[in-house]
Amino acid sequence: MTVSAAPEAALSVLPRADGSAKYSHAGYTITASVNGPIEAQRRDEHPYEAHVDVVVRPAAGVGGTRERHLESVLQSSLTQIILVKNFPRALIQIVLQIESTPGNDYVNTKLFQASLNFSIMPALFQTAVLALLSAAVPMRATATASVVAVVSQDKEKKLIVDPSAREIEAAQSVHVLAFTSHDELLLAESEGDFSVKEWDDVYETAKKICCQPESQKAGIEMVPDDDNARGPDMRQFLRSTLEEKVAADLHWK
Amino acid sequence: MATAAPAAPPALGFARPTFAKLSPHPYLLTNLTPQSPSDTPCRTNGRAPHEARPMHIHTSSLSHAHGSALVRTGDTTVVCGVRAEVLPVSSIPQFRPRTHLSAHNASETEGRGELKDYDLLVPNIELATGCAPQFLPGVPPTTLAQTVSTRIYSLLHSCRVVDPADLRIWCDPSPSGAAAGERDEKMDTDDNEDQREQEGEEENQPQLMAYWVLYIDLLFVSFDGNPFDAAWAAVLAALRDTKLPQARWDPDREMAICSSRAKTTPLRVSGLPVACTAAVFLKKEHAETATSTTGENNRHWILLDPDRLEESLCGETVTMAVDCSGEGGEVRIKSIEKLGGTVVGRELMRGLAGVAEKRWREVRDALGVNV
Repeated sequence: MTVSAAPEAALSVLPRADGSAKYSHAGYTITASVNGPIEAQRRDEHPYEAHVDVVVRPAAGVGGTRERHLESVLQSSLTQIILVKNFPRALIQIVLQIESTPGNDYVNTKLFQASLNFSIMPALFQTAVLALLSAAVPMRATATASVVAVVSQDKEKKLIVDPSAREIEAAQSVHVLAFTSHDELLLAESEGDFSVKEWDDVYETAKKICCQPESQKAGIEMVPDDDNARGPDMRQFLRSTLEEKVAADLHWK
Repeated sequence: MATAAPAAPPALGFARPTFAKLSPHPYLLTNLTPQSPSDTPCRTNGRAPHEARPMHIHTSSLSHAHGSALVRTGDTTVVCGVRAEVLPVSSIPQFRPRTHLSAHNASETEGRGELKDYDLLVPNIELATGCAPQFLPGVPPTTLAQTVSTRIYSLLHSCRVVDPADLRIWCDPSPSGAAAGERDEKMDTDDNEDQREQEGEEENQPQLMAYWVLYIDLLFVSFDGNPFDAAWAAVLAALRDTKLPQARWDPDREMAICSSRAKTTPLRVSGLPVACTAAVFLKKEHAETATSTTGENNRHWILLDPDRLEESLCGETVTMAVDCSGEGGEVRIKSIEKLGGTVVGRELMRGLAGVAEKRWREVRDALGVNV
């Protein structure tokens, strides 16, 4: 099982969609397409705002209850960052196709799993945001997400960023946190057994990954090593991906 | 629109329910904004913002289920029935045989895998019962039903409420074991251990032949917001009420033989996690600019245990499951789900942990548990 340490992304990979993105990180590869604003179905139409429709397609088989849950989580979070008021009675459709997931050799692999899947949530979230940016859908803010697991090791609590499936199994608690680019907590999902104090530590770690301040990354020399070792800087990643894309698009000039 | 609402005189000629139907957001806002500073804000249902509806729990109301509970909080009523059925291991694909000893020595994580791998807990939620106008009867499960059932399933597993040892059905070929029944507590006694070591034969070891599968069915009789809290309390109460018949595997007939209804053992339920949901009501209707500017227009209220009207007006909800039944009564958080907004940050989350602890005590008393 090879897991790429740094996230990778490509924008506008699908020619016929309004916007699309392919993202791979921590063993997950996801392709997203965004179409919108398009005409909404009668039952989805909202007189004041656009309806955001999220479809999650698993790597194999058809979606079950777990995919419905992921869709509802993403839908409510993305509605918050998209300027839905700008498109009344419209629909913004986001389709997320999971292409590959990291395997876990220690457990029976079942096609249908009903339990929550925390480790895939940041990847889905990140891909959706990238695809929305690629489709030029107006947004209030961008958002970044990360997953953190708390493991107890020799009576000491240790935080693991982007844990593997095996680590999640042994973890005491797993947390997914998403922050907007205004440093606000947009989404928090946790499961396991933990105290308020532990959640605070997780919050700090996730915030460090998701919203590193602008000034710190201005110069490459300024980035200290130990901070980088804790996890990737998601906001910087989002920015550099888009910068690359814009530079490529404007190359003819 | 929202700013004009407090000025709207009540002498408009509408009855309260009409006003609530026509413009629900200003209606709730007017109720929450006190007319004079001395008044405490009050919701449309007469509760204070941090006041939850009292929970009433009635158990063992279904005669054909192994355990059942009826939970009522305000106008939200859920019936939960737990039905156990025998699943022979021969019909489990990818079954990994385990011996009596290895089952006992297995680590916690492996035990959890057992419950998950063989799907021994099957929760299902039925909302299409005509419980609320927004759910049409006789349609496939709605997104809400699927979401709630996923979360119940996940919480059941992550809290390790049920011990897989309770669900195993053994086949014991040794005569003493057969007489002793299938309860593994009996098998732990020292003389049995010695006996087994002396014999040391593979066929004389008890073999795992079947599992109990718990079908946990939830039926919403009436729905008035906050489905998860009520559903989870019903699941917990029903599981605590569950009594499984004593079962052993008959190798000749190749089936599990259950004791009579009188001889049952209660299912052990560890911990007492309680869910507590709160919704965030924003002053601004169709709030688009919930940005960090904390002006007068961005006021918000945290409404505990929201009802259907409040749920339809609130975007952001937080559900926290806590358990204070551990040693020292320390608050342990079992799960958090916060989505749909950016108001609840770190400080509010801390405050909610305190509110959830209070709710835990209320629900514990409703369950009639002394922890």
